[in-house]
Amino acid sequence: MYKNFSPLQTQSQLQTQGGEEQCQHLSSDREINEAYAENGQVRKHWKYLLESLHELGAAVLDERQKKVRRILRDDGATYKIYDEPDANQTWQLNPIPLLINSEEWSITEAALVERAELFNLLLQDIYGERKLISQGIIPPELLFSHNGFLRSCNQLKLPGNHQVILHGVDLVRGPDATMIVMADRTQAPSGAGYALENRTVMNRVFPSLFRDSHVHRLSLFFSRLRQKMHELNPNGGVARIVVLTPGAYNETYFEHAYLANYLGFQLVQGSDLSVRNGYVWMKALDGLKRVDVILRRVDDVYCDPVELKGNSRLGVPGLLDVVRMGNVAIANPLGSGVLENPALLRYLPQISQALLGRDLAMPSVKTWWCGDADDLEYVCANLSRLIIKPTYRKPGLYEVYGAELDDTKLQAWQNRLRKNPYQFAAQEYIQSAKSPTWHEGKIQQRATILRTFAVASETSYAILPGGLTRVNLDLGKKIISNQSGSVSKDTWIIASEPEKKMSLRATTFTVPQENSSELPSRVVENLFWMGRYAERAEFALRLLRTVFIQINKTETLPDVVCRTLLTATTHITSTFPGFSNQDEALYQNPEPEMISIIVDQQRNGSVANNLIAMIKSAEQVKEQLSSDTQRVINNIGDELDELKRTLTPGALSAPEEALARLVTSLLALAGLINESMIRGNGWHFIEMGRRIERALQVITCLRSLLTPKLDDIEQEILVESALQCGEVLIPYRRHYQSGINIEHGLEMLMLNTSNPRSLIYQLEQLTAHFTDFSGNKEKFSAESKFLLEATTALKLCDIKSLVETDSEIRQELDQLLGRIQSLVVRAGKAIGQRYFDHAQGPQLLVKHIDWQDQL
Amino acid sequence: MRYRVTHSTRYQYALSVSSCYNLAFVIPRATDKQYIESTQITLLPPATTRNTRTDYFGNLFLQFSIEQDHSELELSVTSVIVIKDGCENSNLDFGNSCSYVKKLLQQRTDTQTLHAREFILDSPMVQQHPDLAGYAELSFTGDRPFLSAVMDLTRRIFTDFTYDPKFSDVATPLSDVFKHKRGVCQDFAHFAIGCLRSLGFPARYVSGYLETLPPPGEKKMVGADATHAWFAVFSPGEGWYEFDPTNNKMTGDQYIATAWGRDYCDVTPLKGVIFGGGHSPQLFISVDVQRLDEF
Repeated sequence: MYKNFSPLQTQSQLQTQGGEEQCQHLSSDREINEAYAENGQVRKHWKYLLESLHELGAAVLDERQKKVRRILRDDGATYKIYDEPDANQTWQLNPIPLLINSEEWSITEAALVERAELFNLLLQDIYGERKLISQGIIPPELLFSHNGFLRSCNQLKLPGNHQVILHGVDLVRGPDATMIVMADRTQAPSGAGYALENRTVMNRVFPSLFRDSHVHRLSLFFSRLRQKMHELNPNGGVARIVVLTPGAYNETYFEHAYLANYLGFQLVQGSDLSVRNGYVWMKALDGLKRVDVILRRVDDVYCDPVELKGNSRLGVPGLLDVVRMGNVAIANPLGSGVLENPALLRYLPQISQALLGRDLAMPSVKTWWCGDADDLEYVCANLSRLIIKPTYRKPGLYEVYGAELDDTKLQAWQNRLRKNPYQFAAQEYIQSAKSPTWHEGKIQQRATILRTFAVASETSYAILPGGLTRVNLDLGKKIISNQSGSVSKDTWIIASEPEKKMSLRATTFTVPQENSSELPSRVVENLFWMGRYAERAEFALRLLRTVFIQINKTETLPDVVCRTLLTATTHITSTFPGFSNQDEALYQNPEPEMISIIVDQQRNGSVANNLIAMIKSAEQVKEQLSSDTQRVINNIGDELDELKRTLTPGALSAPEEALARLVTSLLALAGLINESMIRGNGWHFIEMGRRIERALQVITCLRSLLTPKLDDIEQEILVESALQCGEVLIPYRRHYQSGINIEHGLEMLMLNTSNPRSLIYQLEQLTAHFTDFSGNKEKFSAESKFLLEATTALKLCDIKSLVETDSEIRQELDQLLGRIQSLVVRAGKAIGQRYFDHAQGPQLLVKHIDWQDQL
Repeated sequence: MRYRVTHSTRYQYALSVSSCYNLAFVIPRATDKQYIESTQITLLPPATTRNTRTDYFGNLFLQFSIEQDHSELELSVTSVIVIKDGCENSNLDFGNSCSYVKKLLQQRTDTQTLHAREFILDSPMVQQHPDLAGYAELSFTGDRPFLSAVMDLTRRIFTDFTYDPKFSDVATPLSDVFKHKRGVCQDFAHFAIGCLRSLGFPARYVSGYLETLPPPGEKKMVGADATHAWFAVFSPGEGWYEFDPTNNKMTGDQYIATAWGRDYCDVTPLKGVIFGGGHSPQLFISVDVQRLDEF
């Protein structure tokens, strides 16, 4: 254990700026630092790291910090701050890890195991005998007033000895240098995935430093978690395990996707699951797949609208009864949120005596419960020195530090506590030990909190050797939480010698998530739309680029050509009315409208609108995308932002050039999908989306540009534009030496099977996807028939007769294209009908009533 | 007294329902005062899964799902119940005083008292409020026998409030009921519970049936009755006592209890989730309480 030391620091780089003077009432406390001993000496296990950092120097460290940020962004590592409107923030990782030596860690580890065992017994008692109440160990109100105590979960039990499967603990090092517990997380503890991501990033950014520091590895913990999940399988055979997430709008959605991928479990949302015949099933592409075990990241009250929170849209109706029947196992079990009540800590010593027969080795922070009359008086009298915590966490109800409140607010809080005493606890403010942190170009000391994780394993618990460390960069903030903007650190347990390679004894289960027909319909639908939006945006960009080039040519464009091109732009992007209603002023100065079609995000059909929709679809299926893909999608978002800034009317001489980078990023995305994605159903659907969209765009393009019959020169410009838009102008010129004419143009754009942007190519590719993907069991499905008809009509056409006409419009061509268009649209709808989930959300028979929510 | 109770609940949907998941608290529970001779449950269309279970409060409930298309759901439960003699006529003028009851609630450490304290706390539909305490305290003077005070509260609710089925639905908040002094048995029970809890006494919600006495010389009308609700109050060492503010009396041998909980939310007769069904499902409920002792 550490010795106290007075805040004296010898090295100038480590001098912190201001803020060292603590809150007045604590100024007498001596300050603890993780890296420096009392006499200012660097602690032994920090020596190597700090020396190495000094050797690297500030410039290199700044560079590494940037690299960290870039990798996290490329990995799509996000964290959502609910109070901030910005959709997602990149996860924050400070490049200086927290170090703990293995001698101390082994003591901490043992204490954490003991605590997990106690919480396990506690949960069993709460939903079982409740002898803690009968024996008067805890006041009945402590349990019965807590919203996390779910009476519907009475007597529920997971198979085996463990009820608590994952246990998270927030630890700080107090002024006496010992570790002390601030809070427990038992509902669906978050952070282990972020800890793993942090480790991966640190490994890449400081490879040699990491290697030479003899850091304990994290992977064994996750193997144990995977194994435990398999052991929970109540149904025999190879378990199908899913991670249940509230979805992309949850603060830690990245982690859900990340863990699901790492553990090899399918990521699902409540609407992907359904209860049938007393079992839980996943609505997969080719039917229902039984789910045996659920790793839950949805708060328990939201998990079943039949028996729990009725107005929840995140759960699965009927889930709780499947648990009762023992046909599905959920970890952590429904109802485990009750253990997160901070007021329990006040009674923990007595609880430990009653359930374990001894005191806990590691103390919890001193806690008062306002439900106790004496405690309430103490809390009200000392409010300005305490942290107030709601006993039940919910969005919008955060912990508050009394010292940060003015008198009016303190009074308001007193009234609130007296009005709802059961709902609040108060805790001593602990001046936690500081650790070296990289901030503003130098190493500064910051208060530090560590979340640790225990997983049920064999007959006891195993602790993640490390955890999620967090610090506040802002010295003014006293409460460290991710929601209030703290940053994370990797946590290194330093072995005195290189760690011996260990592995779990050979695991017997085979890996079940073998094929992608297991994808939930929702995932497939998002991939399909991702493909469609991407293509829609890409096509629009090509078209607009072509139109810019044409209208900015030195020789004046014939009026009719110009109008046809602009009207086509409106038609192809569906940004009506736009140029379609013959507005003279728009034709005379088309640039603002064209730019609006690109950058106006609010406008349906605009490039920006489609790209945002594409990015949102991608976010929904994050776990299916590689980090390369994530990076390209980030680039697309960046390019779009860049365009919004630079692309203003009259600002650029050649606006088309500004579009090039976005086109390149979209091509990179298409390339990645084709070069890096397994040819599973996910790939098939993303490609089907793309092909359907491209077919429809080509058709609309041909109908708008080439069905009007014009004189040869005008016609030639439009054919040239269509070829340019389809990226085949140069191949065309090589192939047809005779110059540009409509017949050859149509042949190239409609019928050339080696042109990847021709209509026939799209139809043939679609046919191939329909036949290949494994969900398709019908030989002649509706969509195949529509496609067969479209392909046949196209193949049988005679270009010569399509082109010839006496009127102003090429009727025959227009009709053929119209027919194919309708068939492709119907094929698209048929796919949606068959493979996507059309279940409407559930409705309640009796109104949901819970006036308690108004607290 | 022996009764046969038939309780039918029928939902008619505008559109077809593809599946439903439900819980029903419609099976009378055995208590100190009653035992259940038989219970018969019919469900149309037939259930895919169906289980009778015991809940946290010791009530029986029916869990079922129907996983086939249907546009109508009918749940019908027929039970034969025997009410034990001598439930009526407790002498309310004896027993612990109000202030002593309060003291015992804090001091006694027997399991029953410890667990009864749960029913002082707020529940989803009933929250303590100073206005409720203000209304109630007139009845609860320090040395008055507790149960006599509760009876007085019951009487005052009966006198002050108007029975008005048009006024409220299941979601009418207690404050509205208090403001307008109107409602049905469920509202009156909730109101009484709110009053008692606001003063720090444990009170729970009881749902069940009541045999409405037919006018002299006439046979009772089938289906004239409805589900009923009242409340029970706890006195440490003495146990739970039931009062009916809708009829201004303690419950007697005409009362058949189905289930109890903190409030209506815990014992909703039929609740659940449907997929499909369109808007505003139609609900039809009928209750028939037949006395079997008459020949």
